[in-house]
Amino acid sequence: MPIQIISPAPFVTAADDYDEEHEGGVRLDFDNDGDVLMDEAPRRAGGQAGGIVTPGEVVTDDPQWMRGHGTYLSPATSGQSIISSLAGTISKTNKLLSIRALKFRYIPEIGDLVVGRILEVQTKRWRVDIAAPHSATLLLSSINLPGGILRKRTSTDELQIRTFFSEGDLLVAEVQTLSNDGLASLHTRSLKYGKLRNGVFMTIDAGMVRRMKSHVLTLPTSNGGGDVDIYLGVNGYIYIAKHTTPLTESTTEGKSVSITRLEEEASEAIYSNVNEEISPETRGEIARIACVIAALAKGGVKVDEEMVELGYEAALEEFLQGVEWGGDGEAGKRVVAAALAKRRLS
Amino acid sequence: MEGLRNDGRRWNELRRIHCQLSTSSTNADGSSYIEQGFTKVLCNVTGPAEPSSRQKVKQDSATVTCEVYFAAFSGTDRIKRGRNDKKVQELQTAIQKTFSSVILTHLFSRSEITISIHILSQDGGTLAACINAATLALIDAGIPLKDYVCACTAGQSTSIFDNEGSSPDPWLDVNYLEESDIPSLTVATVGDSEKIVALSMENKVRIERLEAMIAVGISGCAKVRGIMDSEVRRHGKEKLEAQGE
Repeated sequence: MPIQIISPAPFVTAADDYDEEHEGGVRLDFDNDGDVLMDEAPRRAGGQAGGIVTPGEVVTDDPQWMRGHGTYLSPATSGQSIISSLAGTISKTNKLLSIRALKFRYIPEIGDLVVGRILEVQTKRWRVDIAAPHSATLLLSSINLPGGILRKRTSTDELQIRTFFSEGDLLVAEVQTLSNDGLASLHTRSLKYGKLRNGVFMTIDAGMVRRMKSHVLTLPTSNGGGDVDIYLGVNGYIYIAKHTTPLTESTTEGKSVSITRLEEEASEAIYSNVNEEISPETRGEIARIACVIAALAKGGVKVDEEMVELGYEAALEEFLQGVEWGGDGEAGKRVVAAALAKRRLS
Repeated sequence: MEGLRNDGRRWNELRRIHCQLSTSSTNADGSSYIEQGFTKVLCNVTGPAEPSSRQKVKQDSATVTCEVYFAAFSGTDRIKRGRNDKKVQELQTAIQKTFSSVILTHLFSRSEITISIHILSQDGGTLAACINAATLALIDAGIPLKDYVCACTAGQSTSIFDNEGSSPDPWLDVNYLEESDIPSLTVATVGDSEKIVALSMENKVRIERLEAMIAVGISGCAKVRGIMDSEVRRHGKEKLEAQGE
């Protein structure tokens, strides 16, 4: 007994172009007068390249394909077909079929530069939130200890663990190892990594950061803002801070110190919790960069070095024309559009 | 008017469904908003994330938790419903159980998926709207699901009797007035299949009528799935186009 269901009355507003009858998707499940057919043929994935599959959609029933991420096999009774479990695009690697979701949580990989926040201090390690399904661990032995990089960890360090990182501290680190169930272990054994200060923290979707050669950018800003460092964590956590000159240079100026003393001072500064004096101009430019990155992510444009630079330029031009960056999102859209236009030109 | 319900719909007509994905930009991994008639529901999904408490750690799968919040202004009377309210807890358990069976939880061991639902306005079919909103938010969060879970309500008018003695048609997608008047049920199915994952009824109805009610509910679910699917595709296309530039 097929039951006919009358679709709801059409709903049209000026802002929304939602109209199911003229919907240009890959495939329509119902005929044009909006009646659903109960005995329709099994649904098939849109054959179009770049089409979107949605959960429950049969991707293929060809047995030559292997099932990858984002798919599952239908129960054996109805033939082994591969069914999507995510909304996203199909990616094929040789004979492996997988679905890339449109939006997903960060999955750590070795070598990723991540920005994280300390959640918990344990006896010999910290637990760090890196926006992944599990929090990462940072071992006391995988950080730079004050008094030289090559110093051995002692019991005194264990007792003073909070002087290095305490709950709520932000840090930039690299994923060192992954356990077989996906738990990440971080390290900060380089002067590039360590505690973050002098700036603002922001988050975007993990998939919106493009993987690059270097995730630490230094952007020269105008309006007397000086240089600004941007730490684009692959996990979608971003820190934008006033540029700090490499510690070794700053300490040798002024006073001459022995090389061991220098290391000690440098290391102590690494774990300082006190912000430097940041001029209003620098603060303004940091805020502008944060707005640009947020607008790029909101506009669906992947964030990378080029786009941050172009976006910043575009934002400055808007600013020079006397346009205030409003909270309505319109300014953000204009800046993103301008940045994209710039990229097409170059 | 002959054959029309109090809001002018036919027995098999759905109310207007408007849905949106990625409505919230902060913290939540996925979010959605759905309007079914005047029932309005907002849903945020976080996870898979570190479980908030030790009890929620399962060694081989993810834990699904659900939080439901009724806005005090959502109903006809201003009622504040706390965390321990019976109705709130019932909804939470129903949604949590439904989704535990549909989310591929074995992929995320020792983690937690939190579905947080805010009911902004109630006009019948609250559970159905909550389930639909949660499905959309989970899809937006990129959490693997077996298929869409779509829910719909169906009611059975008791006052109208046919001359020939055959039972009258059940009513699809009841609104608040109908819901408080006639027995109704909420049915949720997995995708296009007629597999029921949730079925709830709080009234008494004659057993002969039940089958027809469920059948109408299931067909309604299939229709709702089509509407939700087209929104997911529209949203996805929009997103891909932006990235393609």
